[in-house]
Amino acid sequence: MKISCLQENLSKGIAIVNRAVATRSTLPVLSNILLSTDESRLKLSATNLEIGINCWIGAKVEQEGATTVPARLLADLVNSLPAERVDMELITRTQTLNLKAGRFEANIKGIDAQEFPLILVPEEDMRVQIDPDVLRQMIDRVAFAAASDESRPVLTGVLADFSDDGLTLAAADGYRLSVCTTELEQAPEQPTSVIIPARALQELRRISGEQEEPVEMLVSSGRNQAYFHLKDIDLVSQLVEGTFPAYRQIMPTTFNTETIVSTADLLKAVRMAFIFARDASNIVRVQMVPGGENSGRMIISATSAEHGDNVSEIDATVEGKPIEIAFNARYLIDALDVMDTAQVSIQTRDASSPGTFKPVGGGDFVHIIMPMHIPR
Amino acid sequence: MWQVIGHTWAVDLLQRSLASQRLAHAYLITGPDHIGKTHLALEFAAALNCNGEEVPCHHCTPCRKTVQGTHPDVQVIEPEGARLKIDQIRRLQYDLALSPHEGRRRVCVISQFERATTEAANALLKTLEEPPRHVVLILTASDASLLLPTIVSRCQILPLRSVPTPIIEAALRERIAEEARVQLIAALAGGRVGWALQAIQEPALLEQRQDNARQMLQVLCHGRARRIQQAEMLATHEDVQGMLQTWQLCWRDVILLQHHCEELLANTDLYEELAQIATSSSPEQASTAWQSTRTMLDQLEKNVNARLALEVMFLSWPRVEVGVTDSV
Repeated sequence: MKISCLQENLSKGIAIVNRAVATRSTLPVLSNILLSTDESRLKLSATNLEIGINCWIGAKVEQEGATTVPARLLADLVNSLPAERVDMELITRTQTLNLKAGRFEANIKGIDAQEFPLILVPEEDMRVQIDPDVLRQMIDRVAFAAASDESRPVLTGVLADFSDDGLTLAAADGYRLSVCTTELEQAPEQPTSVIIPARALQELRRISGEQEEPVEMLVSSGRNQAYFHLKDIDLVSQLVEGTFPAYRQIMPTTFNTETIVSTADLLKAVRMAFIFARDASNIVRVQMVPGGENSGRMIISATSAEHGDNVSEIDATVEGKPIEIAFNARYLIDALDVMDTAQVSIQTRDASSPGTFKPVGGGDFVHIIMPMHIPR
Repeated sequence: MWQVIGHTWAVDLLQRSLASQRLAHAYLITGPDHIGKTHLALEFAAALNCNGEEVPCHHCTPCRKTVQGTHPDVQVIEPEGARLKIDQIRRLQYDLALSPHEGRRRVCVISQFERATTEAANALLKTLEEPPRHVVLILTASDASLLLPTIVSRCQILPLRSVPTPIIEAALRERIAEEARVQLIAALAGGRVGWALQAIQEPALLEQRQDNARQMLQVLCHGRARRIQQAEMLATHEDVQGMLQTWQLCWRDVILLQHHCEELLANTDLYEELAQIATSSSPEQASTAWQSTRTMLDQLEKNVNARLALEVMFLSWPRVEVGVTDSV
């Protein structure tokens, strides 16, 4: 292999695939980046067997070939090279990558590319296109609600449901649930639903940062992999095996109180309450006092036995019965953070039923939080 | 072609279940150490993902990767330190939930499962009962009775037995030419294929054994005072257990010689010395010595003071004049 490319491009490409490099693995080759020539481009690949990323950068290919080199080492080295042309040559006999840039030269010992797991391009089964901004927003709204605890693998994933209604993403960790739906320009040929690891979607969100063209999503026929095609970047994710809980059944259908409040005000009040709630299992009490247009009130309070308490009052439009309900402040903050509309609507039934949060006029997005038990 | 030495019935069984696509979701392979449990498990793993015609073909990429231990869908889990811990099982459960990366099935070999903590074993129960579709779990253990009954009842058990010496001999002949060494190693292996193959590659293993045997002969020449001295010295030996195992085998041979069963001898290279011991001690003495060696091996696992136990054992051994040069 003999190629030349610009340090800038190489560094950017490495930064993109670097996040898929395995940190804990029994296979040493997974902590490496695969460099291979692909026609007149250089292809960088990394995988941790859960997520795989391929990234193509422009290069001048003099001789084709492939090798793998340690990711950390390569990243550190390339980032400290001057911004000029980098020449790379593989010495096949020793699997050493010789790297030259200006007056700098380095030799990196690699592992044979044959040992690198294949990042397969799935056979086409279902293909949809989605606007990158919409996709990013959906991921922001949903992925954070997935469980971080790996003991129930299904909940660490996000359900992606493709149907005639569009694409629905849903994630839950047992205490909260996020569901977001968007219409698709073309309906998928057949309804499909798969569970994609939340980590993969978060990576996708990160690497699609500069993307302007629609993102192409493919689900492979064996339903083994989800495949996202971006400009010059591919992300392949293994799917989580299992059945996602029937979340539609737990979504409340009736409510006794509906509160509409300014998102920013509520977020500020909850943040303040969280200062005290930290010591008291994150419990924040929310009281809704009915009243018409801005004559209703919402009282947010938190009490810490050791450090004191705090109460904030904000204006709100409250319809229905008065109610006092407690939530985990962490979950409230997470949810309000992704409500990108000026106002948020909160529907509640009683102190022991989940609360439903929706952005007012912000698309088809529902976030449900289980209440906490208030000790009397 | 399955590259397994011995265990033909187990290979047949697995092959049939592969051919008829009637796989169990979990297997438990039991048998003594070094008998080829993990090897059989890996061969099966290769067969499950093989692309060749006659599985496992050992030529296709998945087969090669499995054998090299670089197949992304084949995982081997071993105890971390002394025990297999619950964290290892939890991590595994997450990995298993993902669909296979490039093969048809995810295969996980969990070796020495008898060393799993109770918590780890219990954590695995749910997965073992109902693993994801693509998963085949293979546990190995020295004996099914050491595992929780709930684990055993969820697996198809393949109890491997010692491999007959002629089969080991045949396998060794393909690898080394010297007939004397073939016979010695096969006899010493006592059915443990893994040990025999290791002995070929690491001559140190055999040398160590000879050293151990020489130590025993020396002890036998000495009186009580010297024996106690030697116990003190040997107590700090790096592999007391290995030493005791050699001694136990030597005493076994002495008893066999006393009963004129030369053909069953394991330490064929020490024939003369052992014969000397056999003629100058009574069968009762030899049997007491074997028994005390065996007892000490058991006690060693229960954290007995090695020096004291060695003293007790040495004193129960008979005094025999063996023609060995004293080089202490």
